[in-house]
Formats: sequence, C-alpha cells, structure tokens
Amino acid sequence: MGETIKGQQNDQKKKTNMIKVDQECFMKGNDYIINVEHLHKQFLVDKKPMDVLSDINLSIKRGEFITIVGHSGCGKSTLLKIMCGLVDYEDGIVERNGHAVVGPGPKCGMVFQDHRLLPWLKIKDNVGFGLSALPKKEREESVRKHLEMVGLKGFENSYPAQLSGGMSQRAAIARGLANNPTILLLDEPFGALDALTRIQMQKEILRIQKEQSTTMVMVTHDIDEAIVLGNRIVVMSARPGKIMDIIKVSEAGRERNSEEFGRYKKKIYDYLFSEENNEMTYKDVSSDIDEIQKKKKNAS
Amino acid sequence: MKSIKKTVLALIVPFGIIVAWYLAVKYGHTPEGILPSMEKVWKAFKTNIENGQLTNDVLVSLSRVVKGYFVAAILGIVAGSVIGMSKTAKDLFLPIITVIRQIPIIAWIPLIILWCGIGEESKVVIIVLAAFFPILVNTENGIEKTPEGMLEVARLYKLNPWKTFIKVYLPHALPHMLVGLRLGLGVAWMAVVASELIAASSGIGYRMSDARSLMMADVVIVCMLVVGIIGVVMDKLIGVIFGMFTPWEKLKKA
Ligand SMILES: Nc1ncnc2c1ncn2[C@@H]1O[C@H](COP(=O)(O)OP(=O)(O)O)[C@@H](O)[C@H]1O
Ligand SMILES: [Mg+2]
Repeated sequence: MGETIKGQQNDQKKKTNMIKVDQECFMKGNDYIINVEHLHKQFLVDKKPMDVLSDINLSIKRGEFITIVGHSGCGKSTLLKIMCGLVDYEDGIVERNGHAVVGPGPKCGMVFQDHRLLPWLKIKDNVGFGLSALPKKEREESVRKHLEMVGLKGFENSYPAQLSGGMSQRAAIARGLANNPTILLLDEPFGALDALTRIQMQKEILRIQKEQSTTMVMVTHDIDEAIVLGNRIVVMSARPGKIMDIIKVSEAGRERNSEEFGRYKKKIYDYLFSEENNEMTYKDVSSDIDEIQKKKKNAS
Repeated sequence: MKSIKKTVLALIVPFGIIVAWYLAVKYGHTPEGILPSMEKVWKAFKTNIENGQLTNDVLVSLSRVVKGYFVAAILGIVAGSVIGMSKTAKDLFLPIITVIRQIPIIAWIPLIILWCGIGEESKVVIIVLAAFFPILVNTENGIEKTPEGMLEVARLYKLNPWKTFIKVYLPHALPHMLVGLRLGLGVAWMAVVASELIAASSGIGYRMSDARSLMMADVVIVCMLVVGIIGVVMDKLIGVIFGMFTPWEKLKKA
C-alpha cells in the first residue's frame, strides 16, 4: 500500500517499544487492554507525507466503552485500524493486552464503516467468515445466535445484495461479534440505520457489552450516541487528528433527558465548532455533525 | 409483447437474405457451383448427415477445441491470477502480452505449422493460443480489481494467502473470468475452423476447403451454417452454465 514511510526504523522502534511495553504493563498492573502512547501516523499522498494522527495518547481499560467523535477526515478510522493492526504506524506505542500490535488478532474484532460483506457469500457465511477454525456445529450455533441478536433471523440464506443498507450493517456487526472478541472496534456502525433501529441497536450493543464484558471502541458522528454509549468520549480535532479532550461520562449523564447530558453535549459542540459558534448554538442544531457541516456548506 | 417484437425484428434480416438468395438463383442465372439453390443446400445437408460425414467432421473439430480450450483455460486462469495479484508479475508480463495479443490468430498458423507440422498438435496449439489471451486478460482484470476493503477483511480474519485467494480474489474475479472463458470458447471455435481450412485432413474446416476444391458450394454453405449454429449453441450453453456458478451476480442487477 505504500503507506510505511520509515519502514526499517519502525521495526526497530517497535522492538524497543516492546521491551518498554512490558515494563509499563507491569507498572500499570496490566489494567489497560489497549494502550496508545505518542502515536503519530502519516500517509503518503502524492509521494508527500501528510500527518493524519498526531501525538495520540489513549489507554483503555478492560470492559470500557470508548466513543470517538471528530470531524470527518481527522483520522478516526485510521486510529481504529491501527489499534486492530490493519494499518502500520510510524511512531509511538500501540499495544493490545500488553503486547505491541504487529497485526490483527482473533480477539480483536472490527466493524467497518462500510459493511464490507462479501457479495458472493450468503449472510450466514459472511457472519461465520472468521470462524473457519471452529467445528461446523459450533460455527452454525454462533452464526445463528448472533444473527438473532441483530434481528436478522430468517436471512441466513440471503445474499448481501438482497439486504437493505441497515440490514447489511447489522450483519456486519454480527460478523464482528461472532468470534467473541474481547475487543470490538466499531467504525460508525449505525450510520446507515434509521433513527429507531439506531436506538434499538444502541441498547443492544450496550447489553452485549455488559453481558460479555467486551471492550468496545466506537467511532460515531452522532454526539448523542457518543454520550449514551461511552464511558469516556474522545474528542478529536480536525486533521492532523489530535485528542482535544477525553470526557468521562457519569452514569446519570447517559440519560438522554438529564441535565448532565445537555452539558456534555454543549461541551462537545464547543470543542468541535469553537470557531463558528457565534452563529450557531448547540440548541438549534441537530445532533448530527454531518448535518451541521452540510448546513455550513450551504450557508457559505 | 416486447419479446414478440424482438423476435420479429430479429427475423427480418434473415428473411430478407433468404428472399434475395431465392431471387438470385431464380433470375440471376448464377452457376450452381457458385450459388446453389436452397433445395440443393438442404439436400447436401441431408446426404452429409445420413452418410455420417458431417457429424464426424464436427466431432473431430469439437474434440480439438475441447483439448485446446481445456489447456488454455488452466493456463489462462493460473497466469491471470498470478499477474492479477502480483504487481511485479504484472509489470513483467503484461506489456509483452499486450503486444502479442495484437497478432491475429491466423498470422500464427504458418509458424505453428513450421514448428508442429500439420498434425493434431498444431491445431491444439493454435486453439490454446487463441483462447489463452481472453481468459488471461479477463481473469487478471477480475483479480486485480478486488477491492482493498475486502482484502482488509481477509487480513482482519488472518486468512493465509491461499485462503485469501480462494475466498476473496477468486470469487471476486469469477464473473470476469467467466466472461473470458466465454470469449475464449468463441475464438477457440473460430481458430479451429481457420486452422483446418489452411492445413488439415479432417474436421469441419477441412471439409469446407475440400468442397471448395471440388466446386461444391452447397457443401461449403452447409458447413458454414453448421459452424455458425454450433458457435451460437456453445455460447448460449456456456452462458447458462456459468450463470449457475455466480448466483449473486443476478441479484446485483435486479
Ligand atoms: N490508505 C490511505 N492512503 C492515503 N491516505 C489515506 C489512507 N487512508 C486514509 N487516508 C487519509 O487520511 C485521512 C484520515 O482518514 P480517516 O481515518 O478515514 O478519517 P475519518 O475516519 O476520521 O473520517 C483522510 O484525509 C484520508 O484521505
Ligand atoms: Mg472514517
């Protein structure tokens, strides 16, 4: 893909990181299932390096639900891909379970922004895609259970082309859950869903997260969703993506009609739209960053 | 209604040709050896079927096609897959392949006869050569166009290279590959007739060139019609069979 800029140096860096990592894990009592320190990421665009992520520091505890918000293009998807080992990084430490991330692992699932079902596989085979190591019976059982979980019972033998966008996305979530990952990274998973299904799925994903104590990291462009789901909300700046703040959400603040909820919302809006909030207040805009950006475009 | 209209439209030109043919024979005073009457062609067809010659010729040609096509399919799919997945292999082979493809298959025949003689091998080699390129190019195209996102899914689930090929590249390339295989079969059939016309002692192409030297235009026309019909039947058949391999493709268009 040609995205590694300093290939060899990186390998060395990663090796030294690994030693560092072990000490740190020991020091932190291995509480952190994901640990990102001083992460920098560049992409080569027209042969010129472009900073995408800059000095990302984020430690995630086992069983935590982290949500990430930020303008589109700020590197949220890239951050998730680095965490699960699909994308290389230049600088910094990225660890899962105390080990430097060098590639994908079975315990770290990912649900992509576009559903990425394989069009030639029936839904049941798409959901069971990562389960080829399991015996047939267990595989079928897991597929059945997770399809039911996302409300797609009866669509086992359909092809992705026969499903609506929202259904495809739910199938992709089922695939992400099917091999019982301890970490699940979700990249705007509910973006294609209608408002009702979205709220339903939010409840469902919270239930799953509690039930299986999965650690979840979800990128979302819906600020309400970020507050409802996240134990902590990571607010990122525009490119190059930096972490502006990590907001801890209290249990009470997750209630949509609580006063605290409103305060969190204002805080996030202020971070994301600090430059132009003289003409727009958080009250009269919808909860969707994308929509705000559209309005911005139309206005100018 | 639409399909009736379509059928009627499709039949107008053939009907016109038949009428023109009939008129040309009746009023044109063309010699029998140049333009035989329709009854004469029909009779030639019947005799050649009855004495088993036509069937035999067709079977000889078809068996050559099957042999050469089978080899071309394997070579084309393997080479196309390798070139489609490896940038190095692509840069190494694709430029020269593009050049070689421009040489019409007829232009290969003299050299191949020099190298392989006029026996069975030369025909099979010509068919391999003719069918190989469309299969290769289409396979390569289908493999190469596999979306990065799907390959990312394969990497996420740690599929090894072979599994990635079987589960992602190959199914993605399959519809393209089938197009190549279909085109390949068409050119293989044309190539066998061409090679038999030039140098052979059996097969439908040989029968045509033999009949020409005997001034039997009726037999030439019978052979031409048979070649055309077999070509169409093979194409339709392979289209239907291949459609069964890619059930998800039909859904996309719907
Ligand atoms: N493989 C790649 N090669 C080059 N640039 C990329 C690649 N992937 C993403 N980018 C660029 O990196 C930036 C961040 O992308 P992304 O992580 O997808 O942002 P987000 O998910 O926050 O919208 C964008 O400007 C995008 O164009
Ligand atoms: Mg994204």
